[in-house]
Amino acid sequence: MQSQTDTTGTDDAPLEDYQSTLPGALGNIDNAISRIESVLLAAGVLLMALNTIANVIGRFIFQNSLFFSEELNRILIILITFAGISYAARHGRHIRMSAIFDALPVKPRKALMILIAVVTAIFMFGLAWYSTQYIMTQAGRGRVLPSLQIPVWIILIWVPVGFFMTGLQYALTAIKNLIEKDIYLSTGVLEGYDDDELEI
Amino acid sequence: MAMTIFSIMIVLLLLGFPMMIPLIVGAFVGFYSMFGGMGQMETMVQQMMAGIRPASLIAVPMFIFAADIMTRGQSAGRLIDLVMAFVGHLRGGLAVSTAAACTMFGAVSGSTQATVVAIGGPLRPRMQKAGYKDSFILALIVNSSDIAFLIPPSIGMIIYGVVSNTSIAELFIAGIGPGLLILALFSAYAWIYAVRNNVPTEERATWGERAGALQKALWPLGFPAIIIGGIYGGIFSPTEAAAACVFYAIILEMFVFRELDMRGLYDTAKSTGLITAVVFILVGAGAAFSWVISFAQIPQAILSGIGIDEMGQVGVLIVISIAFFIGCMFVDPIVVILVLVPIFAPVVNAVGLDPVLVGTIITLQVAIGSATPPFGCDIFTAIAVFKRPYWEVIRGTPPFIFILLCVSALLITFPQIALFLRDLAFSK
Amino acid sequence: ETWRYAFEEAITDVQGVYATKFKEEVEANSDHEIQLFPYGTLGESADTMEQTQAGILQFVDQSPGFTGSLIPEAQVFFVPYLLPQDTEQLGEFFRTSKAINEMFPEIYAEQGLELLKMFPEGEVCMTTQEPVKSPEDLNEVKFRVMTNPLLVENYRAFGATPTPLPWGETYGGLQTGIIQGQENPMFWIESAKMYEVTEVITCAGHNNFTTAVMANKDFYDGLSEEDQQMIQDAMDVAFDHIIDYQKGLHEESLEKILEAKPSMTVNVLTEEERAPFVAAAEEVEAKFIEMTGDSGQELLEQFKADLAAVTE
Ligand code: NA
Ligand code: NA
Repeated sequence: MQSQTDTTGTDDAPLEDYQSTLPGALGNIDNAISRIESVLLAAGVLLMALNTIANVIGRFIFQNSLFFSEELNRILIILITFAGISYAARHGRHIRMSAIFDALPVKPRKALMILIAVVTAIFMFGLAWYSTQYIMTQAGRGRVLPSLQIPVWIILIWVPVGFFMTGLQYALTAIKNLIEKDIYLSTGVLEGYDDDELEI
Repeated sequence: MAMTIFSIMIVLLLLGFPMMIPLIVGAFVGFYSMFGGMGQMETMVQQMMAGIRPASLIAVPMFIFAADIMTRGQSAGRLIDLVMAFVGHLRGGLAVSTAAACTMFGAVSGSTQATVVAIGGPLRPRMQKAGYKDSFILALIVNSSDIAFLIPPSIGMIIYGVVSNTSIAELFIAGIGPGLLILALFSAYAWIYAVRNNVPTEERATWGERAGALQKALWPLGFPAIIIGGIYGGIFSPTEAAAACVFYAIILEMFVFRELDMRGLYDTAKSTGLITAVVFILVGAGAAFSWVISFAQIPQAILSGIGIDEMGQVGVLIVISIAFFIGCMFVDPIVVILVLVPIFAPVVNAVGLDPVLVGTIITLQVAIGSATPPFGCDIFTAIAVFKRPYWEVIRGTPPFIFILLCVSALLITFPQIALFLRDLAFSK
Repeated sequence: ETWRYAFEEAITDVQGVYATKFKEEVEANSDHEIQLFPYGTLGESADTMEQTQAGILQFVDQSPGFTGSLIPEAQVFFVPYLLPQDTEQLGEFFRTSKAINEMFPEIYAEQGLELLKMFPEGEVCMTTQEPVKSPEDLNEVKFRVMTNPLLVENYRAFGATPTPLPWGETYGGLQTGIIQGQENPMFWIESAKMYEVTEVITCAGHNNFTTAVMANKDFYDGLSEEDQQMIQDAMDVAFDHIIDYQKGLHEESLEKILEAKPSMTVNVLTEEERAPFVAAAEEVEAKFIEMTGDSGQELLEQFKADLAAVTE
């Protein structure tokens, strides 16, 4: 038996054509943000591969390690993680354990979904706030990356943005569930909407 | 405080909250109650960042990326065809090969998460086609990957060696015996599974067919060459080998096999980024939670109450096993080692246990913990990569966990499983 | 009251021994209790530093070299041949140096930290696969350094290919041959088992690993005078203890290494052999001044004056 609401299971296909369900200009903004996030994700991963391999080439061919290589990867991993969490929220791809959730009748299940979305949004907004505070503290102290000499706070700006956008996605999911009849796992992903991966 | 936090986390997890929320709430409640309010939440953010910072984690997205390109293109298929040409006619042959491939890959990459992705990614569809149930496949991949902890190189053993002042070279050698024992038992279980479930076998390939498969796999055989030759040849660190695989995969699939275009490359990179983010936010949240446990000195409080000083060698080993097993279910394995090893060090000395044996047992528990619900990091890697529900990923694990626990018991009863090779190599 | 004290090494290493002594003194002479947090249990070095600045931790031991991202001048400790090479003189240097006892506390105070004590952890030696008698022998040797620009400069000046590598990958990197060398104090070469994967230890006297214990300044300033005095006294006792402890430590660690691996070669460079390394230090000094400007130069000159005072 396989779970009907495979929340992690929306396959790659819907990633290609994210269409915001928000009305009017808001929808356009939402679409644009989604596109930016996906470009950042892909570029981050490709740059990370390039940077890592360039370090090997530098060390072997030019007898010169890229001394900033590790720091650059650190910047990229933060970028990927925090561009990615809101992208994942948008596509209902965050990992969850849905066995009990799935077994509930429709009404309590919808109520629980709203609760989950609201609580998650609150914590994401909270983290957005405290990570902003953290960045300001960092900026005040003037800590820099030892090799690149870039202020540490600059490489962290994705953090509050990522948390905020994720919180926004969950807040919208809560609203969507309040308005619509069906149960939504994210603004764009309906519960039970799933290519069954097993039938290859 | 610890019990309250654990209970809240498990309830949130069971209710179906995104898995980052139980971890974040666990950390939040800890910070709130320890510092009497919201005053120190910045440190929680700091520790979330610290969790995703280690340079060795970069190997994870790199192997995800390479494996994804290989699976979308032809490289993975050709490599597996080669394996099948030799083992396809054997009962459970593919499952045993998967377990062995995970062990070998773990031996060079040193990362269990990378192993889940790089070996499990390409092999899972083939095993499904061969007639294995998905829950068995997922459990096999997750648990076999954890053998990587025991087979050198092992970051867990390096950390243990430094903290406990134990020879890392001896630890590395001591891990091989138990690692191979686990592989043997997993293989036996896979064979029994295949027999009992009547998983069909293929016809035995002729030597001509095998030669053909080998020829088709010549280019993709560059991957094991890069990984094994590159790392042991002193050209790459494991992380760099992962990046080299990415480039080799891009060259093969774009220019040799012509399966991948720029659009495909972009989409693969994006999907890699997405999986990375979903896993790393959990690693980060887990690190913040680990900090709370460590700062509040919860392990010290729990362990000081159980009178470990009066136990004999076996008793101490059992308590250590249980403590690490439970710790690794909730908290990052490296932090568990750093926090618990110094606590146990005096009693290990006092009862005259061999620190190499203790290190091996601890590493085994860490491996088990990483594959154990609720918060084992290999479980959520598998969920993110294979896009299967949590329940599906853990459903097949009990037999594997049972085998691992048996190995723990065997190791405690017969330390020679670990120490035999060590004694031989270091003529003790 | 319970105070928390984090350091960068295991409890059995030098910083751990210092912290344990301090804890014993404080608990014997007051009602306060101290909890110790060894390496990694609360994050990395930079994390515990921030936690101290935030007041979560009361005490932190952080080596100035790691403080470079926050306090660039602190990297002066990575300039080779600035510290006395003789143990007696070294203890004297740390007790009397104006740079250490007057200039550094001001620098740290700007970051909200009360500098309580700086102490040496032992002479830094290189471990490599082949003998190193001159900078030429380091040619094409990929030498692992921490991610720190001045340390990179140091080994470039010594003729090696400086290769920043995370600490977790160093043992494996030496084993497989990505890198062929690394440097650390002798006790750390022993306890982190660096000798298992290298063949030669070379002591060129170029540096002595230095660390610093600090307190959160608001916390410290808020203490009663008796408590402040009690802390200072405990720091002094721990300092004497650690200088004493270290007298035999270098030799003891070396003995343990040779017992575990009799084939290990140990070379202590002579004055003549050291000369080209000493000459190379000038490049590193220039780089340090370039990075830190006037305040760095002032500090460097004070270091040299302090050095002259104890070695004459
Ligand atoms: Na391994
Ligand atoms: Na775990």
